[in-house]
Amino acid sequence: MTYNIRLAGVGGQGIITAGTIISEAAKRSGQKVIMSEIHGLSQRGGSVTVDVRIGDCYGSIIPQNSCDLVIGLELMETFRAIESLGNVGTALMSTEKINPISLSMHRKEYPCFEDLMEKYSMGTKIYPVEAGEIAMEAGSSKAVNIVMIGVALGFNLFPMNTSEVVHVLKDTFPEKKLSINMKALELGIAWSGRMKTHVHENSTVPNRNS
Amino acid sequence: MRYMADPIQFTESKIEKNPVFLLGNEAIARGAVEAGIEFASSYPGTPSSEVGDTLSQVADKLGIKFLYSVNEKVALESAFAASISGMRSLVFMKHVGLNVASDPFVSTVYTGIRSGLVIMTADDPSMFSSQNEQDNRHYADLAHIPMIEPSNPQEAKDFMKEAFELSEKYHIPVLFRTTTRVSHMRGLVNVGEIPKIKGTRRIFEREPKRFVSLPVNAIGLKKMLMEKLGEIAMESDMSSMNSVSSDMISKIGAITSGSAYNSLMDAVVSHSIEMDVLKIGFTNPLPKTRIAEFLRKHEKVVVVEELDPYMEEKIRTIAQMNGIRTSIYGKLDGYFPQLYELNPDAVLQSLAGVINIPGYIQPNSPKNGSDLSPRPPVLCPGCPHRGTYYAVKRSVRMSNIKKPIYASDIGCYSLGTYDPFDEADTIISMGSSIGVANGFSMVTDQKVIAFIGDSTFYHSGIPPLINAVHNNLDMLVVIMDNATTAMTGQQPNPGNELDYDGKPVTGIPIENVVRGIGVKNVSVVDPYDLKASLITINRSLHQAGVSVIISRRECAINRDRKLRKKGEIEIYTVNQDKCGKCMNCVENFSCPALFIENGEIQINPTICDGCGVCAEPLVCPFKAIEVKN
Repeated sequence: MTYNIRLAGVGGQGIITAGTIISEAAKRSGQKVIMSEIHGLSQRGGSVTVDVRIGDCYGSIIPQNSCDLVIGLELMETFRAIESLGNVGTALMSTEKINPISLSMHRKEYPCFEDLMEKYSMGTKIYPVEAGEIAMEAGSSKAVNIVMIGVALGFNLFPMNTSEVVHVLKDTFPEKKLSINMKALELGIAWSGRMKTHVHENSTVPNRNS
Repeated sequence: MRYMADPIQFTESKIEKNPVFLLGNEAIARGAVEAGIEFASSYPGTPSSEVGDTLSQVADKLGIKFLYSVNEKVALESAFAASISGMRSLVFMKHVGLNVASDPFVSTVYTGIRSGLVIMTADDPSMFSSQNEQDNRHYADLAHIPMIEPSNPQEAKDFMKEAFELSEKYHIPVLFRTTTRVSHMRGLVNVGEIPKIKGTRRIFEREPKRFVSLPVNAIGLKKMLMEKLGEIAMESDMSSMNSVSSDMISKIGAITSGSAYNSLMDAVVSHSIEMDVLKIGFTNPLPKTRIAEFLRKHEKVVVVEELDPYMEEKIRTIAQMNGIRTSIYGKLDGYFPQLYELNPDAVLQSLAGVINIPGYIQPNSPKNGSDLSPRPPVLCPGCPHRGTYYAVKRSVRMSNIKKPIYASDIGCYSLGTYDPFDEADTIISMGSSIGVANGFSMVTDQKVIAFIGDSTFYHSGIPPLINAVHNNLDMLVVIMDNATTAMTGQQPNPGNELDYDGKPVTGIPIENVVRGIGVKNVSVVDPYDLKASLITINRSLHQAGVSVIISRRECAINRDRKLRKKGEIEIYTVNQDKCGKCMNCVENFSCPALFIENGEIQINPTICDGCGVCAEPLVCPFKAIEVKN
C-alpha cells in the first residue's frame, strides 16, 4: 500500500521544505518514501506541487484519483490540486491568498472563498485553515507550511507520529528558526484539536483511518 | 529555506546514517564521488543543475577540482584533458547542452580516454523547463558511445560507479542519461565509502597517434572504436544493470528502462498484472542475447519507453535477425505515445490496448480547476529584468518604432515573453538572440532588439556579436547583467570576481569584451533607474550599427538574501489618498506583490522586496507608492 500526499502552493512558500520534512519523518518511522520536486523555470512564483509517496511504490508520479491527502498552502492552488484526490481523500487548505498577476494585470480581483468552494470543491472534503494567522502567531508569516503539517498531524492524517516530525524539525532548522517552527507545529496541532472538540453533529473531522 | 544534501554525508567515512534521502542528482554526485572523481565540470541546466550544486558544496573539502565552465563544449574538453592526464572526470549538462558539446563529444569517443570519463545528460520529457524534448539516447548511436540509464536515486548512485569502471576498462567515455523524473526524484539511498583520492597534479604523457584526431589517425581510431564496441556489447549482455523482475512466469513480457520502468511497475502492481519485466540499465549497446532470449520466452512483449521508439526499433531488429515470431508492441504500431513523459495512467491505458487488464476502467479526465486563473512562472519581485523590459517597451513606443523585432534568449528573462511585456519574438537556443538578430538585420528594415543575459552572453553570445560588427549590421543588443546564472539556481559565471566557494577568480567585464569586439556605442545602465535607462535606450535606438546596452543590477534573489541577513529590507505601500487608480502599475509593471482588493491597489508585504522601482514616477505618476513605516 502507498499513502500519497500532494503539497500544492506557490513557488517560495516552502513547499519543497514541507515535503522533505514529511518524507524524512516517514523515513524515521521506518517506511519507504519517494518525493518529486520541481526546479528551474516552474519555480518562479508559479504553481508548484510536490508529491510524497510513502510505502511500496516505484515512481514519484501519483496515479490519477489515488491521492490520499492534499495539503494546500494557498487557496486557489488547493482547488487546482484536488483533482488528484480519490473518492476517499481529504484536502487541508490554508486560506492564504497569493494573487496571480494574471488577475491584477486585467484589473480583476481574487475570487472570494465562498465562490471558489461552491464552484471547485466538487464534493471533496476540504478543511480550510487560517494558517496565515496561526503562522503570524507563531512568529513568522513564512511558517504556513509547518502550521499545515501540524494540522495534518493533529488530525492523524500522516502514517507517522508527532515525535518523528519534531525530530526532523530539529535536524532541519537552525536554532534561531527552530523555535518559530516548533511553535507553528504546536499551534497547528492545537488547531486540529479544537476542531475535533467543536464538531457539529452532522459534520466530520478528517481522519486517515476513517 | 532550501533543503540541501548534508555535506557531512560526503566526508564521514563510516556510513552510519544509511539510508539517506537524496535527490537523484545528489545521488549522481555522490556516486561520482564514491567512484573517486578528481575533476568535474559543467554548465548549469535544469534538470541537471543540482549535481553541480551538490559538488560545489563538497569539492573543496574532498580535493576535487570542480568548475562551472563557460559552456558545455569547454566543460567536456576540460574533462577530457583531465581524464587523459590520469584523473577520473565527470561532466554533466542538460539534454540541449549536449548539442553544444556535441563536437568534442563525438571525437573523444574516437580518440578514447585514459582515466574514467562519464558524460551525464539530463533529458526533459514533457519539457518542464526546456525548449524541446529531444531524446539524447540517439547520441549514443551517433557517437558509438556506451550508455547507462538509472531509474531511481539508488541506481543513479550505483550505476555511476559502474559507468566509471566501464569507461576505464575500455578507455572510452560513457554516456549517463537521466530524465527529469529521475534527476528530480528524491528517494532513499544506501551510500558507500568515499575513497581517498590522490589530489595531486599529474604529468600528461603524450600519445599523438591517439589524441590528435587528424584524418590519418582518425581512420584507424574508427576501426578500433567499432571493435571496442563489440566487446562492450558482451559486457551489456552480462551486466547486472539489466535485470528481470520475476521468474518468467507469464506469457506476457515487457522491456523497459529509466523512468518508464517506474511508471510501468506502478501500473503493474496497482492492477496485479501478471507480466515479466526486463529492465534495461545498460541501454547501448543493448544486451542482444538477453533480449532475444526474453522474446523467445514470451508470446507478447511490450516495449515501454519514453519519447522515441529507441529501444523498440532495435528490439524489432533483434527479433527479425533471430527469426523470433513473438508479437512486439510499442510506439511504432501506435500503442504507446511518442509524445511527453509516461505516467502510470498512460501506461495502463496503452497496456489495455494490448492485453486484458481485469478491473481496469479508464479514469475520468481531470474535471476540476482547469478554468482557475493560471499562475505561470513570473519575474520575481525586485527582478531587475522587469525594469529593463518596462523601459525598453516605453522607449520603443516613445520613439514611434513600427514593428520592432525582439530576439530573446534563454534565462529567467525568457519570461519577458509573457504579458504585459510581450517582448520576445524568437527564443531558439543559447545565444540565438544575437545570432537571429544578425539575420533579421540583413533581411528586414525593422528595428532589431536582442535581449541576452550575462551568462548566456559568455556561453554563446560572443561569436554572433563578432559576426554583427564585422558585417556592419544594425541592432540594439541589451545585455541583462544580473551577475549570476539565475534560472538554474544562482550559479556563478565568468563575470563574477568570486567562484562558487568564495575563492577569487578573474571577472571578465562584459563592456571590455564588447568594446574589444569593436562595438562603438556601449552604455551601462541601472534598470532600477528607469529614467536614465529610458534616455539611454532612446538614444541607442536611433544609432546606426551595433549598439550595446548593459543593463546591470544584481539578481533580486541574491540581493534579498544579503539584505534579509542584515535585516535591511524596507517594503512599500500604496497611499490610497494619492492613488489616482490609473492602474499603470498593475497593468504594465505587474510586480507579483501588487494586487487589487475592493477596487484599491495594494502591496502584499510578504512578497514586496523593497526594490522601489514601482514608486518611480514612470510607473506611478501620482507618487502614491511610498516606503512603509
